Amino acid sequence: MDPFSAEGELLNIHNAFFQGQYDKVIEHDTSSLSASNQTAAKVFKFRSRIALGEFEEVLAELEGEEEPELQAVKALAKFNTEELEAAVEDIEELATASGDNATVQVIGGIILQRAGKTDEALALLSQHQGSLEAVSIIIQIRLAQNRLDLAIKEVTAAKKWAQDSLVINIAEAWVGLRVGGDKYQQSYYVFEELAQAVSTSSTRTLVGQAVSELHLGRLPEAEVALQQALDKDKSDIPALANKVVLTALTGGDTAADLSVLEAEDSSHPFILDIAEKNELFDKAASKYAAKVAS
Amino acid sequence: MQRLTKFESKSSRAKGIAFHPKRPWILVSLHSSTIQLWDYRMGTLIDRFEEHDGPVRGIDFHKTQPLFVSGGDDYKIKVWSYQTRRCLFTLNGHLDYVRTVFFHHELPWIVSSSDDQTIRIWNWQNRSLICTMTGHNHYTMCAQFHPKEDLIVSASLDQSVRVWDISGLRKKHSAPTTMSFEDQMSRNQQQQADMFGNTDAVVKFVLEGHDRGVNWVAFHPTLPLIVSAGDDRLIKLWRMSDTKAWEVDTCRGHFQNASACLFHPHQDLILSVGEDKTIRVWDLNKRSMVQTFKRENDRYWVIAAHPEINLFAAGHDNGVMVFKLERERPAYNLNQNNLFFINKEKHVRSFDFTKNVESLSMVSLKKLGSPWIPPRTLSYNPAERAVLVISAADGGTYELIPLPKDATGAVEPTDSKRGTGNSAVFVARNRFAVFTSQNQQIDIKDLSNSTTKTIKPPVPINDIYFGGTGNLLLCAASSVILYDIQQKKTINELPISGVKYVVWSNDSLQIALLSKHNIVIVNKNLEQISTLHETIRIKSAAWDDSGVLLYSTLNHIKYTLPNGDNGIIKTLDQTVYLVKVKGKSVYCLDRAAKPRQIAIDPTEYRFKLALVKRNYEEMLHIIRNSNLVGQAIISYLQKKGYPEIALQFVQDPATKFELALECGNLEVAVEMCRELDRPQLWQRLGAEALNQGNHQVVEMTYQKLRSFDKLSFLYLITGDYEKLKRMGKIAAHRGDYMSRFQNSLYLGDVDERIELFKEIDLYPLAYVAAKAAGRTEEAQEILDAAGVTEDQVKLPSSGTALAPLRAVSDTYKANWPLKATSLSFFEKALLGQLEDLKIDDETPAPAANGFGFEDDDAEGESRRANGNLMDVDDEEVDAAGWDMGDDINLEDASESFVDVQSGDASGVGASEADNWARNSGIAADHVAAGSFETAMQLLNRQVGAVNFAPLKPRFMEIYQASRTYLPATEGLEPLVNYIRRNPDVTDGRKVLPFIPKDVEAIRAGELQKGFSAMKSNNLAEGVVAFKNVLHSVLVTAVSTKDEVEDAKLMIQTATEYITGMSIELARRELPDTPENAVRNLELAAYFTKPQLQGMHKALALIAAMKNAYNRKNLSLAGHFANQVLELSAPAKMLDNARKIKAASERNPTDALEIEYDQYAEFDICAGSFTPIYSGAPLEQCPFDGSKYQSSWKGKVCAVCEVCQIGAPASGLRLLAA
Repeated sequence: MDPFSAEGELLNIHNAFFQGQYDKVIEHDTSSLSASNQTAAKVFKFRSRIALGEFEEVLAELEGEEEPELQAVKALAKFNTEELEAAVEDIEELATASGDNATVQVIGGIILQRAGKTDEALALLSQHQGSLEAVSIIIQIRLAQNRLDLAIKEVTAAKKWAQDSLVINIAEAWVGLRVGGDKYQQSYYVFEELAQAVSTSSTRTLVGQAVSELHLGRLPEAEVALQQALDKDKSDIPALANKVVLTALTGGDTAADLSVLEAEDSSHPFILDIAEKNELFDKAASKYAAKVAS
Repeated sequence: MQRLTKFESKSSRAKGIAFHPKRPWILVSLHSSTIQLWDYRMGTLIDRFEEHDGPVRGIDFHKTQPLFVSGGDDYKIKVWSYQTRRCLFTLNGHLDYVRTVFFHHELPWIVSSSDDQTIRIWNWQNRSLICTMTGHNHYTMCAQFHPKEDLIVSASLDQSVRVWDISGLRKKHSAPTTMSFEDQMSRNQQQQADMFGNTDAVVKFVLEGHDRGVNWVAFHPTLPLIVSAGDDRLIKLWRMSDTKAWEVDTCRGHFQNASACLFHPHQDLILSVGEDKTIRVWDLNKRSMVQTFKRENDRYWVIAAHPEINLFAAGHDNGVMVFKLERERPAYNLNQNNLFFINKEKHVRSFDFTKNVESLSMVSLKKLGSPWIPPRTLSYNPAERAVLVISAADGGTYELIPLPKDATGAVEPTDSKRGTGNSAVFVARNRFAVFTSQNQQIDIKDLSNSTTKTIKPPVPINDIYFGGTGNLLLCAASSVILYDIQQKKTINELPISGVKYVVWSNDSLQIALLSKHNIVIVNKNLEQISTLHETIRIKSAAWDDSGVLLYSTLNHIKYTLPNGDNGIIKTLDQTVYLVKVKGKSVYCLDRAAKPRQIAIDPTEYRFKLALVKRNYEEMLHIIRNSNLVGQAIISYLQKKGYPEIALQFVQDPATKFELALECGNLEVAVEMCRELDRPQLWQRLGAEALNQGNHQVVEMTYQKLRSFDKLSFLYLITGDYEKLKRMGKIAAHRGDYMSRFQNSLYLGDVDERIELFKEIDLYPLAYVAAKAAGRTEEAQEILDAAGVTEDQVKLPSSGTALAPLRAVSDTYKANWPLKATSLSFFEKALLGQLEDLKIDDETPAPAANGFGFEDDDAEGESRRANGNLMDVDDEEVDAAGWDMGDDINLEDASESFVDVQSGDASGVGASEADNWARNSGIAADHVAAGSFETAMQLLNRQVGAVNFAPLKPRFMEIYQASRTYLPATEGLEPLVNYIRRNPDVTDGRKVLPFIPKDVEAIRAGELQKGFSAMKSNNLAEGVVAFKNVLHSVLVTAVSTKDEVEDAKLMIQTATEYITGMSIELARRELPDTPENAVRNLELAAYFTKPQLQGMHKALALIAAMKNAYNRKNLSLAGHFANQVLELSAPAKMLDNARKIKAASERNPTDALEIEYDQYAEFDICAGSFTPIYSGAPLEQCPFDGSKYQSSWKGKVCAVCEVCQIGAPASGLRLLAA
């Protein structure tokens, strides 16, 4: 039986992870779980801690672990520290050794994609056998590649065998935000449903709701949702990034918001992108400099 | 089950009813001796037949012939023709009231029952009585043929029902065939003669069970069943076999005499009526009462069923009513290319329009609601593949049923959810709304059927419909409301009463609201677009892909265009419910809930639509490829003001001539005129040609009309002296002296005139003419000829001879040039192409007829050539537009090419931002796309922008507002999504980015900031604010033309203010030394020139006035004072101004000589702050229009600080095409 299915004992921890409730994952009592699910639960716990930034601790704890799952987690933790290349090497090794392991596929997919090795990531992920998370990562990679058509294909295919899965619902919402039109509203429903229920609410889902509302042009509502997210965690990076966008949308000055974001995450793609565009502007403008002088 | 009354008549007691098998007619025989023929669909009385004496009880239509039969209390049976509207003949024989009459379904027989206790069979072809059946021993109240077999059933007040075998009669009367011996034997044995030796009709069964008289009896249409109604208030059901018949059961319920009964033609139901004023419906299988419909005051006497359509009629004390027992509209829902519907077996099925295949049943709804009530509506959710079905049973119930993946047959639904409600629709992927009318409440439910939200409608409503994403359409009695579920508020309300159905267009932009007799078309915001009224009930509607609404009434399929024009497409013999229009087919469900495909000819409405949309290419296509002719389309075109298009359809020369004149097409008019050759037509052609200055045609018409005078005058004014001379010769030839005289006058030909006078013996005049012209010799000759001497003639002094004015230019050589632009470009294209067509069709070119038409044609051609020129221009402009984005476009193109190539293989696609740049030609959209280079290129070309540094904040602002960052998989980078300003659009070729700070926001923000800075004398800040306005407007996007105007106005305002404020700032920076006094005063004066708003203008003027006054330039001060007084300034200021004005008038001198001419028109150079007098060369900033001395050309504009002064520019674009 699929341990993540509606009857499975990992359902709660699994859903909590994908809803972005990492504290809840870490606090989850796993003592009652059957032995076969212990590792999976552990992986979620470690990944949650990595998500919360406890790279060194996780690394230390996993020292000498042999299970491929835990090694993959270790690589993930390592990737977030200074030893980028080492982590990529580790995971590539793991992928050859135990590429059929779902956790290795998922974490390998994440690390390889982050390292810019998209094709390898996709190759590894496509070996999955019914792993919803793998599917969702494939969808994300496809979207990042601007291959909406392929993303939609993945979603449609996945929905055939995993209709009610939270992971796929969320992935569908991602796709919806690219498609637009009526799909904006549907994506909004997905995030809103999660964000506004106390048991499933998290900064992650609130930001999702806010982003949907930004696309729907409902700026005041988006602001409320973002504020809710920031109330939960005033240094939540996704929320801060979209706060900048919201401020820009309303025509306000984004300098303050940008500096907050930069302070929290100086390598956020938004920050990098803006710096790049700044340069681009100056470069493009300089072409006309001759005329200005005259 | 409900009773839906379709028609009701008022009359005296109705005793007999008959439906026409095909037409919507019903015959009613009345107690008052009248027979009425009604059209129950239109509700009109078609005819009355009044030849019976006393009540008429029996009535029946013949199935195929235009005949009907009636029987009355005058013992007579009459056969009528409804075509000739008279009684054909009367069958006499009954000895008492005739109760019922019926035609046989195939033989030329009539069966009648009478109070004389007999049942008789008549042959209406030879008008004879062929059989009399005796046996009942009281009045026979009813006798009917069996629908198939040779049987008759009769009812009598003797409390019995009898079944008669009439096979003997049939054999006797059918054509003699060779009969074998065996046949004869069997026949002789089988048929026992009755006691009178009659073998034609024998009693087969006597059914006894009623304990009072029996009023009515009827066979079942297919089963061996009989139903009877009696004075014992019972309805009895009997069954028979070949050998016996027996009572099955009794239906108890009527509490007064039951007067008539029948079997439902299609369903297992019995209907009965009685004197207890009720119609009762019984279940044939359970013999239980299903429903009772009670009437207040009237006893029912008779009931009849339509043989085919689901209609019944019941006669009562005060007339008849026609009704049906169930809604026949099948429940259906269209989803893209699939139709989901519920058929008569209550199975959910789908129909695929792409394959034209009906699926197997998917789910059976047998258990939903009551078995006799069909589901009312169905709503399909494609995301969940589920249907929501509403049934009226139990006060309204809904059921949410997931459909199986594959249709395998009518399985019972599993896992369905249900509840009470009168209407239910899906409003989102996982939400549906349920409306309960009893407590006026709308519940929004999720798929697990739990309520997530409850809404109280703002007014009492009847129904709800899908209203676009997140919205509902609420139908109240007298209005329709668009309601936002999320915000729980009314978005819009439209007063339309009685809306019953709502049909969304395929692109979800328009909605058709259907009520009984009206269709209102609204847009998705519920703003009315058009409305139309039908006299016949409107049944359904479906949208064509092109935005035409097709709708069905009871008997037509019609169309309506967005502008309200409508027309008939097809006549229907059977009511249908339209579901989809696809090409030349209309898909619909008929009343049996079977999908049907009806072929239609969409040419007419497509053509009209093309006309409305001015899509001339499409029109041309239609004209070429279909035989669209006829008076209707011509008069339509004429009425709509397109005679030139109508011209293309006309064959009749007279009409063609009229149309040609109407649209000024002389070429065609001349052609037609030649064909018709009638003076009036030539005259009118001449008048029109004259209006157009086409004097060559005028000349021809005058020639045709032989109006020589007019012709002469025409030659005179066009300067064609050659022809004018010829006119003189013609006049001489005709012997028309008056005309000759006139021509000679026109020509100034004195000799001719003298000659003429001499010819007609007017010597005095001839002499005077010669004398005046100084022809002395000639004059002397005349004198000699007349025999008088010069002395005898007394002449007034002749003065100088007048010669007629000569035409300055040779107008006759060419027609008056016509401006081609009176025709739209498309019209020209159309006409041009059509002319080409014509020339192809008809070989003799009109040019061949040699009346100077070459010129005309040449001009036509040059006109066309002009059109082409314009074309070329357009292309150039287009090309320029492309140039700007060339770089990226090329890249994109190659990328999308790769896309196509690689198909499903992986690879990186173009992002939406790339699409933005591709979709738009305005800089702001390129900025949002991150394509700064092309944005700058655009700005450079549009407004000559070169200095982009000031625009950087605006660029970054727009860019930052273009993308959101959605956290996705933990550990991966967030997903970038693109914010659209048209969020409803999903087509990648139409998406456009959101641009923050629209025109309205700029006006409310920075512009106001600038104004308040001005007011508070914070000029430096003000300049910055206004410059911000310019920079924001320069890189923005608007959605309407009005906004473009707004933006331009704002640019103007900001420019004026920046110029003004900069001048004042420059003045303030001047050290206050005497040598600066002149410059100081000049700048103060210039500050008054920019067009500031009222109060601000006054501030500038007052400052200048004081400055001038202080420097003793009193005259100048007075000039400003005057201007101040014209404005509305505070009282104190006005006072000051008056004083200064007075001082100035006392001493109008200027102490300082400054460069400010108060009387001259001039602009201020925005760079050097010096005057540019009108006429002097100046350069402008291509963006803000500020003016500069010509020496400033090529510099960066001081106002906007972005654009190059005097740079070539195509103009700012703000509206994305």
